Amino acid sequence: MRIVWTALLLPMLLVGQAASQTNQFVGSEVCKTCHPNVWLNFYKNAHYKTIASGKQIPAQTGCEGCHGPGGNHVAAKGGKATIKSFSALTPTEALDTCIGCHSRDISKSNIRRSAHTEADVVCTNCHSIHQPATPKFLLTKNQTELCYSCHASVRAAFEMPSKHRVNEGVVKCSDCHNPHGSSAVPNRMASSSAMLQPAFDTEEPCLKCHQDKRGPFVFEHASVRVEGCEACHVPHGTMNAKLLRRPVVFTMCLECHNGAGTFGRENAGVFRLDTGHNLLDPKYQHCTVCHVRIHGSNADPTFLR
Amino acid sequence: MRTLSALLLLLLPGLLGAQETVAPTTGVSTLSPRGENTGDYNVVQSWEFGYRFASVGGDGGKYRADINYGNGIRLLSSDLTVNSRDGHGHWFDEIVLTTQGLGNDPYESATLRIQKNRWYRYDLLWRTNDYFNPGLTVADGEHLQDTTFRWQDHDVTLFPQSWIRANAGYSRNTQVGPALTTEQEFDSQSDVFPVFRNMREEYDEYRTGVDIVRRSFRFSILHRWEYFKDVTSDTLTTSEPGGSDDPSKVNSFNRTQPYRGRTPGWLATIYDEHKWIAMNGRITYAGGRGNFIQNESALGLSRFGTGQDVQVVVSGNGDRPVIAGDLNLTLTPARRLSFTNNTSVSDTRISGDNQFEQLNNATLSAQALNFQFLGLLLITNSTDIHYRFSKKFDAFAGYRYSDRQVRSIEAALGPGPVFNTTASQSNQLRAGVAGFSWIPLPDLRVHVEGEVGRNDHPFAPISVGDYHVIRSRIQYRKKAYTFGGGYSENYNNNSIVITAYSSRSRNYDANASWNAKSWLLLDASYSKLHLDTIGGIAFFAGAPAALFNQQSVFISNIHAANLGLRFPITSRADFYAGYNITKDTGDGRASAAQNAATPVQTLFSGVQTFPLTYQTPLVRISLKITGKLRYDVGYQYYGYHEDFGLLGTNQSYRAHTGYTSLLWYF
Repeated sequence: MRIVWTALLLPMLLVGQAASQTNQFVGSEVCKTCHPNVWLNFYKNAHYKTIASGKQIPAQTGCEGCHGPGGNHVAAKGGKATIKSFSALTPTEALDTCIGCHSRDISKSNIRRSAHTEADVVCTNCHSIHQPATPKFLLTKNQTELCYSCHASVRAAFEMPSKHRVNEGVVKCSDCHNPHGSSAVPNRMASSSAMLQPAFDTEEPCLKCHQDKRGPFVFEHASVRVEGCEACHVPHGTMNAKLLRRPVVFTMCLECHNGAGTFGRENAGVFRLDTGHNLLDPKYQHCTVCHVRIHGSNADPTFLR
Repeated sequence: MRTLSALLLLLLPGLLGAQETVAPTTGVSTLSPRGENTGDYNVVQSWEFGYRFASVGGDGGKYRADINYGNGIRLLSSDLTVNSRDGHGHWFDEIVLTTQGLGNDPYESATLRIQKNRWYRYDLLWRTNDYFNPGLTVADGEHLQDTTFRWQDHDVTLFPQSWIRANAGYSRNTQVGPALTTEQEFDSQSDVFPVFRNMREEYDEYRTGVDIVRRSFRFSILHRWEYFKDVTSDTLTTSEPGGSDDPSKVNSFNRTQPYRGRTPGWLATIYDEHKWIAMNGRITYAGGRGNFIQNESALGLSRFGTGQDVQVVVSGNGDRPVIAGDLNLTLTPARRLSFTNNTSVSDTRISGDNQFEQLNNATLSAQALNFQFLGLLLITNSTDIHYRFSKKFDAFAGYRYSDRQVRSIEAALGPGPVFNTTASQSNQLRAGVAGFSWIPLPDLRVHVEGEVGRNDHPFAPISVGDYHVIRSRIQYRKKAYTFGGGYSENYNNNSIVITAYSSRSRNYDANASWNAKSWLLLDASYSKLHLDTIGGIAFFAGAPAALFNQQSVFISNIHAANLGLRFPITSRADFYAGYNITKDTGDGRASAAQNAATPVQTLFSGVQTFPLTYQTPLVRISLKITGKLRYDVGYQYYGYHEDFGLLGTNQSYRAHTGYTSLLWYF
């Protein structure tokens, strides 16, 4: 057996010795000699297409496309010091390697300023090239579990009674968020962006699915446009119906509609309830029963129709 | 190792893990990842057919709003991958198909990818969600919805590996189904009437674009056309009386309100990267426009008992052009040092007009032309500096500035006096951020970051004012196990002279997972989410004078815990057990109305905390029958219990659900 291995490796070692000064490319066929487990299913990997095309330059082909030229690695009979090993790279170096090819996608163009990159969460934290759990996107776990593994409080939100159906598999984190960093959402000021992926490139992500709330309405509920849906709703999940921030509506409405000065469009406060609204009357405890068009109306400035 | 053991002991008492729905079956031990070779292709697949059952007691409407699983035969899940073995398939090199819940589960999805290297890639995402919500606590049950959301996205990329590639796509979203809404007729003081609603909303989007790559420079342009149609109609087929103290009555009601919206848009992006500088920019424009008409007629009695015959006709249009742009620069003057700067500008203008005409009893006629304008201009700039002190420690700091201008014109023209109110409000938000990442031990990562900011002129009482945010996370990750913990807090104070508003949230979490083999898993987590909010409010309640300087205090303390445990019982049987509990202990009180001396106190006291318990334990057993066939059975319990209820309602329920299935795979 030893003779067989020696016979297989000898030509490569000779090549490697000759190349040790310049660290030349040796080709993926050489790599599979010592890494057969990696090679076995590599034809199923999205990166295999760089080999199959036969037209890519060595620096963008197969194993060496990511791991760099393997001449020195072969000559040294392996070792992490002689090859670009991702486990030994700094987060920035790992990002630089991947983004060399993957920056062409619009969805990844903001990766260098994303909150993930800022926190040293880079490509290899979420993607596994050789042992992916998902054939698409080569994720280390299915997407939901992957995000939950760091965002435990978000997982707790999605296990509340009222929630978007993420655990049920019909909604995914990436429907609203871009983990590679996103452009600014217009109603977000300088505070954390949460890497929201704007709807139609310009608006709140919620409007991707809830287009009926999009308008434009002749009478906009200004806080919806200015502060966004989160003024009233908690998007991940809550204990309250309709993903509301409060268990009943009137307390939430009153927190803004209290007449306190300097707020609102006219800097004169958000108007408070008029005398007709006796809160002890059950009819007035469900504000949206009358104000049915609370997200915006084309017929009534107080959203009654 | 001793530290690890201590951590494990600390976390195990909860035995908390990733909760999942009982079906489809996941993570069984003998699913082969290698598949079978057929000609030049390799095929891996699994198909799980089964029967799902559910038995519900208590509030079935709330169960359907939260869970909604029912009885029936399902294709619970399927996975199919076909790969060419040499990357030179005739028509395709890869097919990936996954489905879930097909056959009438409330949550169904399918994804499909077909691609041939160098030539094309096609992606499909299809989903449907049966939505049911009685809206009992927020609309007294009069806004019930029983609709179906359906999404589909198709995307084609031609020449995906070329220097120029073309993209095209189509998306369609629909929401259809019956619903209830309410209508207040004749008088803004009269009772409201439940109205049947036939919901039908459709959204279509077409898009096409080109990506060009030359050396390090990338340019993309995308054009899209979006169309939205809402043809929901409202009807009342039987006479509907008002409340006992309100003689108002609606004998007939009919409303149609077709809406058509369209939004053509453009998006262009550039990206360029060199050794010490990377930049990308984006400019996008969307010209939203909506046309609407509303025709409404109602016959009945007013709250004074007089006959009413009202016809309302509204027509008009709205416009919302939005233009936004970003420019990002990343400079790397030294290997350890980088600067990132982002500037964004967004301008949204919402305007429109409508013609409103109301004819009452053929005697009174009112006509008004209303018009509003709302404009939002937001400019933001952020600069971050990032320095890597060593491979194990790096830190960043940054400054954020935002300037937002809100402009509005409110006007009305009618038989009465004309008014026209123009207002403009601007606010600046300045914030500083800082943080660090540290690797004190191999595989142990610590990250801490914070943000402190001040908004000089918040738009609404609940808006961000003076705030600070802290986020921290520690994680120890080995190949087979992970331990993690985190703390975050978000404090916001927006109090002014007249009233107070403050919101404080604190989250704590810990998680652990052990995944020695693909079929052996222990996953646990615990989170505590605290929120307390004080809001200054003013309202009327019984007395003719307003009650000023009141406070609304909301307190929530949510404990969420999970357990997932999967292991083989024998060589032929896998066992999975999961437990999830979410419990809001509220503010700790034992009864709804605490220290309630007046009706107003009773009302507010009962809704400012909402203690409840929601738990979902499950067990699942998967038996291997042959090398390609398994039998699965599982049970999941859903228990939802409100301690007090809200406004006289209590929606507690419990449900027994489960499934049995055959899983065929290779």
